[in-house]
Amino acid sequence: MNERPDAARIRFEQVNVTYPNGYRGLKDVSLTIEPGEMVAVVGLSGAGKSTLVRTINGLVPITDGEITVGEHRLRGLRGSRLRELRSEVGMIFQSFNLARRTTVLNNVLMGRLHHTATWRTLVGAWRADDVELAMQALERVEIVQKAYAPAAELSGGQQQRVAIARTLAQQPRIVLADEPVASLDPPTSHVVMRDLQRINQELGITVVVNLHFLDLARRYGTRLIGLRAGEVVYDGPGAGADESVFESIYGRSLTAEDVLDSRPVELA
Amino acid sequence: MSATALRPGMPAAAASARPRRPRQVLRTLVSVLVVLVIAASFWGVDLSWSSIAQAPASLLHIAHLMFGPPNWSQLPEALGATMLSVAMAWFGTVLGIVISFPLSLLATRGLLPGVVRWPVRAIFAVLRAVPEVVIAVLMLSVTGLTAFTGALAIAIGSIGTLGKWGFETFEAVDRGAIEAATAAGGSRVQVMRWGVWPAAQPEVLAFWLYRFEVSVRASAILGLIGAGGIGKMLVDNTQFRVWDTVGTLLIVVVVVTMIIDQLSGMVRQRIITGRWQLPLAARRGRRGSRGAGGLGGPADAAGPGAGGPGSGTGVEPNAGSDAGAAGILSETSAD
Amino acid sequence: MTRPAPVASTGPGAGQGGGRDAVRAASPLRPVRPRTRWKSLVAVLVIAGITAWAAVTIQVDPADLVRNGGNAVNTLIQLVQPDYTFFPQTLDALGQTVQMAVIGTAIGVALSLPLSFLASRATNPDATSYRVVRFVMNVIRAVPDLLYASIFVTAIGVGALSGIVALVLFNLGIMVKLISEALDGVDRGGQEAALAAGGTWLKADRAAMLPEISPAFLSQTIYVLELNIRASTVLGLVGAGGLGMLIDKVRTFYEYHYLSLVIFEILALVIALDLLSSYVRGRIVR
Repeated sequence: MNERPDAARIRFEQVNVTYPNGYRGLKDVSLTIEPGEMVAVVGLSGAGKSTLVRTINGLVPITDGEITVGEHRLRGLRGSRLRELRSEVGMIFQSFNLARRTTVLNNVLMGRLHHTATWRTLVGAWRADDVELAMQALERVEIVQKAYAPAAELSGGQQQRVAIARTLAQQPRIVLADEPVASLDPPTSHVVMRDLQRINQELGITVVVNLHFLDLARRYGTRLIGLRAGEVVYDGPGAGADESVFESIYGRSLTAEDVLDSRPVELA
Repeated sequence: MSATALRPGMPAAAASARPRRPRQVLRTLVSVLVVLVIAASFWGVDLSWSSIAQAPASLLHIAHLMFGPPNWSQLPEALGATMLSVAMAWFGTVLGIVISFPLSLLATRGLLPGVVRWPVRAIFAVLRAVPEVVIAVLMLSVTGLTAFTGALAIAIGSIGTLGKWGFETFEAVDRGAIEAATAAGGSRVQVMRWGVWPAAQPEVLAFWLYRFEVSVRASAILGLIGAGGIGKMLVDNTQFRVWDTVGTLLIVVVVVTMIIDQLSGMVRQRIITGRWQLPLAARRGRRGSRGAGGLGGPADAAGPGAGGPGSGTGVEPNAGSDAGAAGILSETSAD
Repeated sequence: MTRPAPVASTGPGAGQGGGRDAVRAASPLRPVRPRTRWKSLVAVLVIAGITAWAAVTIQVDPADLVRNGGNAVNTLIQLVQPDYTFFPQTLDALGQTVQMAVIGTAIGVALSLPLSFLASRATNPDATSYRVVRFVMNVIRAVPDLLYASIFVTAIGVGALSGIVALVLFNLGIMVKLISEALDGVDRGGQEAALAAGGTWLKADRAAMLPEISPAFLSQTIYVLELNIRASTVLGLVGAGGLGMLIDKVRTFYEYHYLSLVIFEILALVIALDLLSSYVRGRIVR
């Protein structure tokens, strides 16, 4: 694992997130993610996985405590400084979040938005080196031949790879993934997770993934964080998660719904 | 971070696998054509540039005369005139509904043979194509300038649209109820009454109400050409340049129209969703019963229906007609 | 033979002659028919009442119609016999009508784009500007186009300029409403991603939301062009240019053959544009 020279460390210090309706998303969460790690976050729905991941780029504001991402402190971060942080943090979503009616290339170029002057955006005149970056990102996820296709024409797996290309175009220090494979079938899920793993290993980008499926989490991450009711109940290597750990995370024994494949999948 | 950081080890051959930007000949041609047409219009229209330059200043001046302050002493008369216009609109709409309803039944596919349907639909089309004001002008020159005549003009003008929306709604009804009624042995009339009507009823009521909103605007306009009501008061005061009264009248027109639109919107919401909703409450994510493709949007009773009410010619273009009736419900009217 | 039937009125006992009695015997299980009839009755009464008031207010006089009926039929007959020799004289006005509509649409549509984005909660995070723009648009939309035209004619002068300004205001209200509603209803995924990547709202809206509504935008532009053509044919009635001015000139002289020609031209224009518009809009909405 090679670290990028300016890799970002993520540090949570006694972080609390309380939603406006009173629901407590995170309770006193403290942890540190070192640059270059690939962390998988697991837990039941509503346990706080999504909240945890979304606090890192400020999509969910924190109520108490502090999060430090690189040199940015998230508490109260707003305006252009928040946008600067976000430009360094790429994110892929469960529902892919592509602009469906425009081309794949335009979607990937959205990763360069922060670095593009407003007038260029308004007129639609991207800079040539930005377009080059976008093309390279598409090549890396092996979908460049669809560059000019409308995003809506792509399958789910292809759309998610375009989303990954979009984050790559940002040249991010961190990539967040909020349930990236929940809408995909098992073989495609493995393809996407492998792409994330390659980004982490080849480019040294810190990756934090939020997953439903335990086997994927153990297979593709170097570290596993288990959340339950907003609190961290497990933080360690994936291999170290045994039956008792499952129970503490899920409150029950492991069932078939918690794993993606009943048999291991052979990848090309 | 240089651009090459993204692809260590990527073979150079891969770069040549990139697709070429697709050529969009048709799109470019059409764009050029459109630009030409617009340019030709700008160039061809005879406007003196001095009047364009003067216009903003004149408008500001007039606005100042109208609203600073408006002549409130005329308010009672203005309200009275408004009542006349609203009465004109209401009566005209009701009359239009009464006439168009049976006609739209005649025009529904599956009820009567084509030989009856097509002439009726043709009548609708012609009546829709003629701007309401023109109908009014014709009638006024025949039967004289009265509010009654204005109401008749509104009625005739609305037959076309109401008729068209009527049969479109009947035809668009879910076939299930129709099949059940027919299978149970109902005659065509019974099928209409029990299979089609209950399903179509909310939409039909909704566009009747919507048409009233359109008619209110039409009644103001008909007044402008002499049929009485607030429009007449407006044109009289405008011609004699009594601007402070015009200001009052404008305010009255805007307020009354907005109130009627709000009320109508609330009632339509109630008809469709079965619940009363207060206007101006932020309502996100609500969709009309049939969002028309990219046009479907949340019903927002804080504003009147889109196309028709804004048009002085009582216009409802038949383009987007399928979105028409549905549009009424979601108020994203293609009209 | 008769046994207590289930609540449904077609129960197992229905086949036998005792079916009905069996159903009645089960009446304690039947729900009571909800009493909503009275609501419809009230509604009908209210409507009838308002209609009666309206009839009185406008002084409905069927006798009047009968009296003038013959007159009307006469006029109608004359109306369907246009005098085509007048056609060259109407060309100027016809051209002006089309020009006003095109220019009005172009300017109105261009202005409406940024305003629509301001008027939609999905693209405008600032509550104040959102409410202000929406309110102003509602007010603008509440005034009929001919009313605008009549005021502008007196303020700016007779001719096409008044017509154009009236049309711009007229279709601004409509476009902004339609497009902002389209923005409200469209999928915002791309926008979320653009904001998460560090874009400002303006950039995110332009890059992600605009493409989503562009079919709707094009479609509505054509619709508005149609509306404008129809409107501009009659704006001249108050002096704002176009065919309407011919009508105004002629109606006082009862030159029905001339009038009917003008009306035919209006019809032709409107129907032609309607067909064209249906075709194009059908092609656009993919």
